[in-house]
Amino acid sequence: MQAFGEAQHPDRLWTVLAVSLVVHGAILSLGVLGRPGPAGDLEQKPIIAKLVRFGEARPEQWLPRRDVPAPEPAPAAAVPVPAPAAPAAPVAPPAANAKPPQPHPASPGNGKGSDALERALSRVRKDQALAARETWGDPSGSAEGTATGASEGDRYLALVTQALQSNYRLPATISEQERLHLLATVVLIIEPDGRVSKLRFEQHSGNDAFDQALERAVKQARLPPPPPELQQRYRTIGLGVHFRV
Amino acid sequence: MNRLVACALALLPAAAFAQRQYIDVGSPDFRPMALALPGFQAAPEALADATDALQTLRDDLALTSVFELLDPRSFLADPREGLSSIRFQRWADVGAEGLVKGAIRRDSQGLAGELHLYDVRAGREVLYRVYREKTARSLAHRFADDITQYYTREPGVFRTRVAVVRKSNGAREIVAFDADGKASEVLYRDATILLLPTWRPDGAEILFTSYRGGKPEIWALRLADRSTRLVVALGELSTGAVYSPDGRQIAFTASVDGNSDIYLLNADGSGLRRLTTDPGTDTSPTWSPDGRRLAFVSNRSGNPHIYVMNADGTQQRRLTFQGTYNQTPRWSPRGDLIAFTARDERKVFDVFVVSPDTGKVARVTQDQGLTNEEPSWAPNGRLLAFVSDRTGRPELVISNPAGDRQHVVTTDADPLGNPSWGPMPQ
Repeated sequence: MQAFGEAQHPDRLWTVLAVSLVVHGAILSLGVLGRPGPAGDLEQKPIIAKLVRFGEARPEQWLPRRDVPAPEPAPAAAVPVPAPAAPAAPVAPPAANAKPPQPHPASPGNGKGSDALERALSRVRKDQALAARETWGDPSGSAEGTATGASEGDRYLALVTQALQSNYRLPATISEQERLHLLATVVLIIEPDGRVSKLRFEQHSGNDAFDQALERAVKQARLPPPPPELQQRYRTIGLGVHFRV
Repeated sequence: MNRLVACALALLPAAAFAQRQYIDVGSPDFRPMALALPGFQAAPEALADATDALQTLRDDLALTSVFELLDPRSFLADPREGLSSIRFQRWADVGAEGLVKGAIRRDSQGLAGELHLYDVRAGREVLYRVYREKTARSLAHRFADDITQYYTREPGVFRTRVAVVRKSNGAREIVAFDADGKASEVLYRDATILLLPTWRPDGAEILFTSYRGGKPEIWALRLADRSTRLVVALGELSTGAVYSPDGRQIAFTASVDGNSDIYLLNADGSGLRRLTTDPGTDTSPTWSPDGRRLAFVSNRSGNPHIYVMNADGTQQRRLTFQGTYNQTPRWSPRGDLIAFTARDERKVFDVFVVSPDTGKVARVTQDQGLTNEEPSWAPNGRLLAFVSDRTGRPELVISNPAGDRQHVVTTDADPLGNPSWGPMPQ
């Protein structure tokens, strides 16, 4: 029996190899004839999306605001208020007809003063409202959005981009001149749970500090699990990432 | 086993011919390098100098925006460690990527300083310098320049000075500060109005606008002997003069017959020519670093905006379209950005930068006082100086162009204005 099995083994292998060659040939032929691939649109170049923040669009003619929070004021900094008119003058009791600095309600009958005060208060309220509105977005955006501009595309790749982006930190010592030319490409093997099981450089930048920073960014990033139809793809051929400055 | 081989072979072509997808990740955050600066070694007679030098060095490096200085309280400096027997793992454990060690000694010839810079990750010394200087601050500035140069491969700017106009006791002064906002020196004092100092590229002279002749005229202050001379007085008003990068020409604003335009003059006073002829107000010229172009302000479109033209006045084009009141442009020595002041929709003045190529505007200051204005570039183009009222009165601020690292560096009792960052020492 065993001898029979050993005798059969090579024949089966040859059969399988023959079948495999036929399958290879068929797929090659399909590729040559330019037939579309079977797995949806996997071969298309992805369009990266950012989640657009929900909100009113900032007028184009206005000067831009920074999305990042303003830096902390200097330790000795005071609240930015206009300097008092006469700081060196001794504090004197207010004159009988002097108006108090606080916005008390105007006395009835003083229509002119009341209007002026109301206009001033209105202006202050408007400025405060503008100052309070730190973020702008798009009326059709998402509450989870972070971008001011709009684009469409693959949600998963957008989330991967966002995860990598948030950990993409380079040494500030890299000079401006070097920054102009730095580019590296890595291939990430992504497990179905989103874990990066392997990172391989397809193209090094030539700057060790830059390459090391990319590795740190990938290690620190928490990628979302790929959608089921893409899990096999990212686990086998991986996802390429071009890191630029 | 055979089945496995068969499956692998069947799947092979699909994997081989499936194209890998690529995504782009850009716009990184630039993370400052963590540096540890333990106390300098010094003999008893130089302890005060060592303290002064260390503080100055810390202040300088903090301004660069590329270093994160570890809080000295986060590590215990081992006095037995010395200057060369470094326990690198210990420094790595507290998060240091670089380690600066120094020693100061005083003798009959002045101060001598020794600088050692270590790469903690690599576990080796990467820089060693010895200097002689008159003051601890000078030593520290040299150290700071060397450390900056080593890491960024670009020259440091801590031996440069920033000239500002200070209103003091009814007079105006041109005052020069070190880049860290200290060691102020009054260069010139005038009882009349005095405005807009700018440096000659060799640092030997400062142009300024003065009303000493009864109207705005352009004067020059020679720093060697503090003498002044009239450079040009054209029409009803001449102001805002700037030397070309090669020092051979001066661009300025003059109002002749009520029309303010940009003019050019050879440095020796010859060759006056008019570059703009628009009936609108054209003012505030600034040179591109190659000397081939000028940016300026014009209200020819209704509101003041930044414009660019060739240095012969041709190809004038509008650069900014956002905002309604853009002024005080200053072209970066790198050439890639023009910094300017703009009033936003809340009537707050802030500092912005615009690319002269794309016109893309980015904000430098935001929600930091009511007025941030008059930016001036450091000679290496890595930092900006401007004045801000965020502390209650106009003080000098040093910032990176991104605006995420800003430092108020002066605590002057008198208001400061018109900063102009001087050139590298010759």
